[in-house]
Amino acid sequence: MNFAFLRDAPPRSNGRSVAVIGAGPSGLAATGFLAGLGYKVRVFDKLPKAGGLMVFGIPAERIPEQSIAAGVKRLEQDFGVEFKLRTKICGSDAMHEDTGDHFSSDLTSLGELTRDHDAVIICTGSWRPRKMNIPGEDLPGVYSGLEFLFPIRAAGYDSQKLKAVDVTDKTVLVIGAGFSAVDVALAAQAHGAAQVKMLYRRTRHEAPCGIHDVCTMEDAGCEMAELVTPVRVLGTDRVTGVEVVQCQLGEPDASGRRCSLPDSCAKAEMDADIVVAAIGEIAAPPFAEELGLDKVRKNEVHWLHMTKLPGVFVAGDALTGPSKIGKAVYSGLKAAKSLAAWLSLKAEDREDEYSDDEVITPQDWHSGPLETPAAKGSE
Amino acid sequence: MAGHKTIYIDYSRCIGCETCEAVCRFTHGLPRVNMTRAKDGVMMPLYCRHCETPYCVRACPRGALLKGREGEVLLEPALCEGCETKNCLLACPYGGIFMTMMTEAMVKCDLCLSRRAVGLGPACVEMCPCGAMFYADPDEIAELHTDFAQAAEKRVLAHIRPKVK
Repeated sequence: MNFAFLRDAPPRSNGRSVAVIGAGPSGLAATGFLAGLGYKVRVFDKLPKAGGLMVFGIPAERIPEQSIAAGVKRLEQDFGVEFKLRTKICGSDAMHEDTGDHFSSDLTSLGELTRDHDAVIICTGSWRPRKMNIPGEDLPGVYSGLEFLFPIRAAGYDSQKLKAVDVTDKTVLVIGAGFSAVDVALAAQAHGAAQVKMLYRRTRHEAPCGIHDVCTMEDAGCEMAELVTPVRVLGTDRVTGVEVVQCQLGEPDASGRRCSLPDSCAKAEMDADIVVAAIGEIAAPPFAEELGLDKVRKNEVHWLHMTKLPGVFVAGDALTGPSKIGKAVYSGLKAAKSLAAWLSLKAEDREDEYSDDEVITPQDWHSGPLETPAAKGSE
Repeated sequence: MAGHKTIYIDYSRCIGCETCEAVCRFTHGLPRVNMTRAKDGVMMPLYCRHCETPYCVRACPRGALLKGREGEVLLEPALCEGCETKNCLLACPYGGIFMTMMTEAMVKCDLCLSRRAVGLGPACVEMCPCGAMFYADPDEIAELHTDFAQAAEKRVLAHIRPKVK
């Protein structure tokens, strides 16, 4: 991934410096753009390696580690980008609340960054596990998709702090049918689980991962239970199973897919040693409230380059909620461009000409009127 | 014209992340590679293959599609009216020409003409995280087109050109 794709060699320095918080797809895309304009860029990340979820969430079979590493090396060696890894930029929140905080040994405050740089971009992504909001979900043996996938990749960096979940000869239930649910199921199967079963409230035809991935998963030996939704995680000191209710399909909802209607009378219990709720993560940017980011939700489509704090910008999942690498890249590039425009105007005392509220419509994200609702794969 | 480089996507390595489309959109305004999701969940970035003997060039009633110096298929927007026939769109076996409703002319890939002029390669290829995109000559493409890649491409083409029942 050649993040500095706009140039073949770095230009002369323009004397300005930018701090990028988060070295995921949006942060690195922003870094590449700004470094290509002659900015001095410092990238901060809580993890021991740059790449974010492309390195620590998505399995290496899907994204080769080398692809990201080569792009990062080019930024570092040719474009003079400084990477400050294992460093978490803190807000008012406590540490170790998000997946992947384990590695941070150094804390820096946002105030420090804004003082030391001409501008800051927050590209912290979405790392906070989303809750199922059902009883028993805090029992040991229940994980979020990222809590399960992250240690598989991260254990290679520090096996003292992190171990992959031991699934050997265990029954694993995976809740959800997105791409990360498929990744969890395949990883569990590959690591020697006795049985892997995916639970989805709709059928395979509505599954966000697509029927092809469902088939791939089944070919690998996993099972899929359709039209069931969990209502309770069973167990006293550790998970022993999940209580599910049968669902049926109703009318199409806002996403164009038929909704799932639970039938509370038809309950059943499923045994499990490990439950993974791969139902997505949520964004938890530092200083969310102060920056006006506290209301950012999944699929909320709006565009905000600069936060309430002058010179502090935001991009990627931190802004839009969980999405796709491509959207994060685009968001990072747009925010970086906007940041550069703001700094240039500021240098001439023309800040009031800066417009920071370009509205993004669903048409901008997708390919416009040609695309049918069925073709929109954003879950 | 044989031997010229073009974009090749190994669909078996593509995860549908939309980075190619995003980078193209950022570089050109309207993307010329478009990620599409088929009903069964197959993700497919649709793009121009810059065919050696392109059907679209033959089909265009205005001669707005032309073969470039490096074998690429170029659209001259000033000549294209996004005409009523949409012959190019129908003629392309790969779904690589796009009607956007945002511009009069059709939109298609020019292999990043201005980037190539200064020695850079197509932007989408540079940024693909999966190593699924290549800017390669026909010999290299023949090697990249493994059985696995062919099977994946077949799934994609089945959606673009469904069998008529």
